[in-house]
Amino acid sequence: MDAVIVSHLYFRYPGKSQYVLEDINFALREGEITALMGMSGSGKSTLCRCISGIIPHVYKGDIKGNVEVLGKNILEMALPEIATKIGSVFQNPETQLFSPTVEDELAFGPENLCIEREEIGRRISEALRLVNMEDYRYSNPNQLSGGQKQLIAIASVLTLQPQILICDEIMSQIDKSGKKLIKSVLDSLKKQGKTMLLIDHDHKNLDIADKMLILKNNRIFEQ
Amino acid sequence: MIPNSKLDPRSKLSMVMSLSGMGVLINDIRIMIGILFITIIILKLLKVSILKILRKFKRILYMIVVLVIVQSIFFKGGNPIIAVGSVAIISDMGLQKAAAFALRIGIVIASASILTTSSYRDIVQGLVQWKMPYEIAFMVSVAIRFLPTFMEEFKDASVALQLRGVDFEKIPVKKKLTVYSYLFFPVVSNAILKAQELSIAMETRAFRAYPFRTSYLILKIKPLDYIIIAVSFFTAVAGITLYYT
Amino acid sequence: MNFKSDGAVMRRSIELNKISFSYNENQRLFESLSLVIYDGETTVILGRNGSGKTTLGKLIMGIIKPCKGNIVIFDEDSEKMNLGQKGQKIGYLFQNPSRQLFAATVYEELSFILELKGYEECMIEEQASKMMNLFQIEHLRGMSPFYLSGGEKQRLALAALLINNPGYLILDEPTTSLDPERKEILSKILKQYHDEGKGIMLITHDESFALTHAQRVIEIEGGMVTYDSKFET
Repeated sequence: MDAVIVSHLYFRYPGKSQYVLEDINFALREGEITALMGMSGSGKSTLCRCISGIIPHVYKGDIKGNVEVLGKNILEMALPEIATKIGSVFQNPETQLFSPTVEDELAFGPENLCIEREEIGRRISEALRLVNMEDYRYSNPNQLSGGQKQLIAIASVLTLQPQILICDEIMSQIDKSGKKLIKSVLDSLKKQGKTMLLIDHDHKNLDIADKMLILKNNRIFEQ
Repeated sequence: MIPNSKLDPRSKLSMVMSLSGMGVLINDIRIMIGILFITIIILKLLKVSILKILRKFKRILYMIVVLVIVQSIFFKGGNPIIAVGSVAIISDMGLQKAAAFALRIGIVIASASILTTSSYRDIVQGLVQWKMPYEIAFMVSVAIRFLPTFMEEFKDASVALQLRGVDFEKIPVKKKLTVYSYLFFPVVSNAILKAQELSIAMETRAFRAYPFRTSYLILKIKPLDYIIIAVSFFTAVAGITLYYT
Repeated sequence: MNFKSDGAVMRRSIELNKISFSYNENQRLFESLSLVIYDGETTVILGRNGSGKTTLGKLIMGIIKPCKGNIVIFDEDSEKMNLGQKGQKIGYLFQNPSRQLFAATVYEELSFILELKGYEECMIEEQASKMMNLFQIEHLRGMSPFYLSGGEKQRLALAALLINNPGYLILDEPTTSLDPERKEILSKILKQYHDEGKGIMLITHDESFALTHAQRVIEIEGGMVTYDSKFET
């Protein structure tokens, strides 16, 4: 079963003549970790944005082709609906964590969807358990280490209970011990049946992947 | 949720609005000194370290002093205190205006510092329960969260520029302006980038999905809060009305 | 890899004498740390996030000041130098390239320091072009650094640093946004620097990159030197 199907995707930013993505075709299999590697500036983040709905809902551009998530075309879904299916985690913890406590941060997503308090409480506990950060429920995210901050970023996305996770270079700014923490969490998320897309330019960060895709010359190649 | 025995953020917001409102609308220096005095007492009661605030605003303090001097020099009218020939450089009314200006800024900054005793999530919730649209409330809290880093960033940019080999003490005067303008670029561009990344992070977590949102955090308003809100409101109304009649 | 020094008398580039430093009242990060770094060789400082290695670089450059102790840079007391003078002796690369990009275009980013020094227009053009070619950013010449990708910013920051031809380099995590191809280019440049006899301090947690260049390896953990290859027999 394919969680995400990308077919004949073309994209270029407004005002540009060059396409950043040309005839991209690939699928993310359910329950698998797929790695996407490419040089910096190759369009990896752009591809992420097309899959997570940031393009075209936040960034505009010339988009052609199809992105299907769990059977539905992404252009037919608004961001709030997409958020319950795809969670995005980014490179810089500082701009993903903006709440005074970890608990507030994790509550943010479900609050936006008007989920009732008790359910939010349950989801917070569950998400903290999944990332092994239960002891930090009332901590200030700013005072955590880099690796821990990213774990909280992941947890804050997990409270929306998406089936698919897109991780855009989440380990670039993290040291060895932080990376170990994050990789083991990603592994246990896979055992939970989550589908994941890991993007990075460093292949050492991608060794937990089941499948490897390469983005080169605006196209996708499988390895 | 941690049981919170501190004041409800709405009490603090009431105090801030009342003190700042009076500070801005009332022009009598003696009364303004009184308001500033009350504000400082409140800050002490809330255990806010005044020294820390003064340190944070050290840079702005320089700017204010300069503005104060400029204001008093350019104000025409009143009796000259320091004059060169027949041109008044500093007049007594100019000094008065400048003092009022300085006091006003002092009251606004000091009263705003009352808000530092609540977490910004609490403040957002207070504003939202007062029927403010949550998007605006969040914008306010993000500003509170990131404003201090803004000032840090100017200092960091200045350090970084010097480390590039730019000796501030040896720049020819005509190039000084270009060099200082270089400081703006990293600070402003970082701020824009952060704002973009932040808004993406929030939107991919369904921010603005609906016109309203639930809150995991519950504010518990207590009798003391009602008293503070009432007192703030009435003092401000009474004070301003009495001043203008 | 042979980490032993060759026995010849080496000039001291940086000396830390009994440095004590703490970020807050509770924890002392550095307690009476003394360290001598030599010119002409590549010294690698390895350590986890929070080990103090970035702080070390900042202390050396005067971005933060130690509570106790003093720092000597090329035989001059660092307290007698202002930041601009230190920047002329040592080129320092910040961990975050956005911290050190100031100009409206890539070309201006490379040229403004030479302009301030009073170089001739044609000389500036020559140097800037050389740098842009070396770091593969010549196609970005007229672009604002704001629109560059992470890797491009890092390359630009490095180029802008090297165009000043500093006598010693301190690089804090220079490889985070670089892919393998560009890391290779950086490797070549660092080698060239070393062959010209200039010293480099590489602060990083990227062990494999670091170890290909290191003549000396220092490991820092919790503000203390836990390993120094100079004292290995």
